[in-house]
Amino acid sequence: MTEVFLDPTAELSAANKAILPRLASLEGKTIGLLDINKPRGDVLLDRLEQLFAAEGVSVRRYAKPTMTRVAPLETKQQIAMECDAVVEALAD
Amino acid sequence: MSDTHTNYIVVVKRDCPTCVLVEPVLAQLQSGGCKLQVWSQDDPTFPETVTDVGNDTNLEKSWAMKIETVPTVIRMEQGAEAERTVGWDRSEWQRLFDNDELVAELPDFRPGCGSKSVEPGMPEKLALRFGDINLQSREIVVGEMEDPMESCFERGWSDGLPVVPPTQLRVVRMLAGTNRDPAEVLGHVPPDLQPCTIEKVAINAVMAGCKPEYLPVVIAAVEACLIDEFCMHGLLATTWFSGPMVIVNGPIARAIGMNSGGNALGQGNRANATIGRALQLVIRNVGGGKPGGVDRATLGNPGKYTFCFAEDEENSCWESLAVQRGFSPEQSTVTLFAADGVQGIADQRSREPESLCHSLAASLLAVGHQKFVMHSDAFVILVPEHQRIFAKAGWSKQKVIDTLMEFTTRPGSELVPGAGGIEEGMPEFVKDMELPKFKPGGLNIVHAGGTAGLFSAIVSGWLASGDMGSSPVSKEIVI
Amino acid sequence: MDLEGRGIPGGYILTEQFRQADLAQAKSLGFAANKVFVEHPIQDRTDDEMGVIAERAFEAVKAMIVEPVAD
Repeated sequence: MTEVFLDPTAELSAANKAILPRLASLEGKTIGLLDINKPRGDVLLDRLEQLFAAEGVSVRRYAKPTMTRVAPLETKQQIAMECDAVVEALAD
Repeated sequence: MSDTHTNYIVVVKRDCPTCVLVEPVLAQLQSGGCKLQVWSQDDPTFPETVTDVGNDTNLEKSWAMKIETVPTVIRMEQGAEAERTVGWDRSEWQRLFDNDELVAELPDFRPGCGSKSVEPGMPEKLALRFGDINLQSREIVVGEMEDPMESCFERGWSDGLPVVPPTQLRVVRMLAGTNRDPAEVLGHVPPDLQPCTIEKVAINAVMAGCKPEYLPVVIAAVEACLIDEFCMHGLLATTWFSGPMVIVNGPIARAIGMNSGGNALGQGNRANATIGRALQLVIRNVGGGKPGGVDRATLGNPGKYTFCFAEDEENSCWESLAVQRGFSPEQSTVTLFAADGVQGIADQRSREPESLCHSLAASLLAVGHQKFVMHSDAFVILVPEHQRIFAKAGWSKQKVIDTLMEFTTRPGSELVPGAGGIEEGMPEFVKDMELPKFKPGGLNIVHAGGTAGLFSAIVSGWLASGDMGSSPVSKEIVI
Repeated sequence: MDLEGRGIPGGYILTEQFRQADLAQAKSLGFAANKVFVEHPIQDRTDDEMGVIAERAFEAVKAMIVEPVAD
């Protein structure tokens, strides 16, 4: 059953949950690439890693052990400690 | 509510023995040709001996007709209510139905039962469903897969602790705590300077965990923080520690069960905890004041979650803070102070008021910086065992304050940069002056705390006090 | 992923096939994450073809995680 809340704010922003501010630039940042372990996702991420590296951005690779479950807590915490932003791929 | 041919409306429920008792009377009236519409709140087959019983199990009719007791008999004239009676009272019924021959075997009188439409929590549900409650706030539909509690965190509405999800029903119930119009605008909350209605206060009070009876106190606290002298905008934005501390005076404090005794500044009392928190949530959510955003506190203090207590007036030998500030003892008020944390003062040996004043003064000197004067204001939260020493000596509150002002007056030579080997200090020009630690009116005393313990507290304030920043403000609590 | 809740901005890449499912999920979660759609299907692509898909998506992927540069 869906619930309805009344907005406690001044309603200056969209009703949907806001997403975090993006990074100001990629300079000196570390990007996490998370393979959700679907076929061919790794190949796509390999190429993205090369493209980021070509722009001087550090990349770290992570993988979910199985595509059917959410990423384990350790993986999330590891990404949070090691990365400034994260890209997940590939859902099909 | 009924067509013009109906002369009488009767509302009943099977669960009520008096309604069961009058069943033969209703049957007798109907078979005698009386135009009677019976509504049943719980079982539309009751009363069996009456035909065309209306189904009011959703209580729409009962709510619309403001039924409080069953049975209720309403006599109609030209489609409008002329008069009503509740329960079973033979003479009343005979008069209303203009019939002297109602079933003879019945007793003369039986009180009725409570209407289902006034069971606890029901009036608000019915008002939301059938009434003309017109709440203005945007409705936020929570996704089916969302956890309501998590959803509030994710939307940024929380101070870091769980909040009660602000459903429409909870907000309507909260608004029942005040007689004021939900659409009334209290002012513009910094830093975004957004209009704040009673309704927005109620939503945030729900989230903070308030009971509806606390709402008037929260409203007064919001009104107080919007008074210019309080300088809420600057207080929020400062790198200093302070946040609003709420002191409640007057009869409402006891009425809603606030703590002014043991652990008054601590955890464990719902009213203390949630009123202070609701004020902070209003600033966060309506005003948009958040840490990392406009709130630039270097460290902050735990009181920025909530900092609210009541003065113990009953056991005090002095006039209350509110009376001192011009209110009568019968008025309920909030007083807000831009407060840092709590600094304890232990003095278990003083038996004379002068000695205790020296003790308190020595600790008061440390407020803000030991070499700063006329910066922060301060409240001394004087505990019963310390106040007793002054009471025994017949000292008034003002005498204690005057003495503390005297004992905290310092020679400027001790305050200038370099004095005491400390580079920090007051400007060079104060070198030959005698300066009081606090501005006139900058030192206040309230009475609170448990009956055991010779430990009072200093709650010091924002370095920017008075015209430079924030002054304490008070507001009467209006139901 | 609740990495946003941990303060890590991000997004995901998915194929066009999932556009509808993604809309439904965003609605039920009350939250629409940043995302980049790439063509479908992909299982039968060669590595070179996957490389081309990645190259075409790269600017959009960067846009998910970096603020646009003001002109």
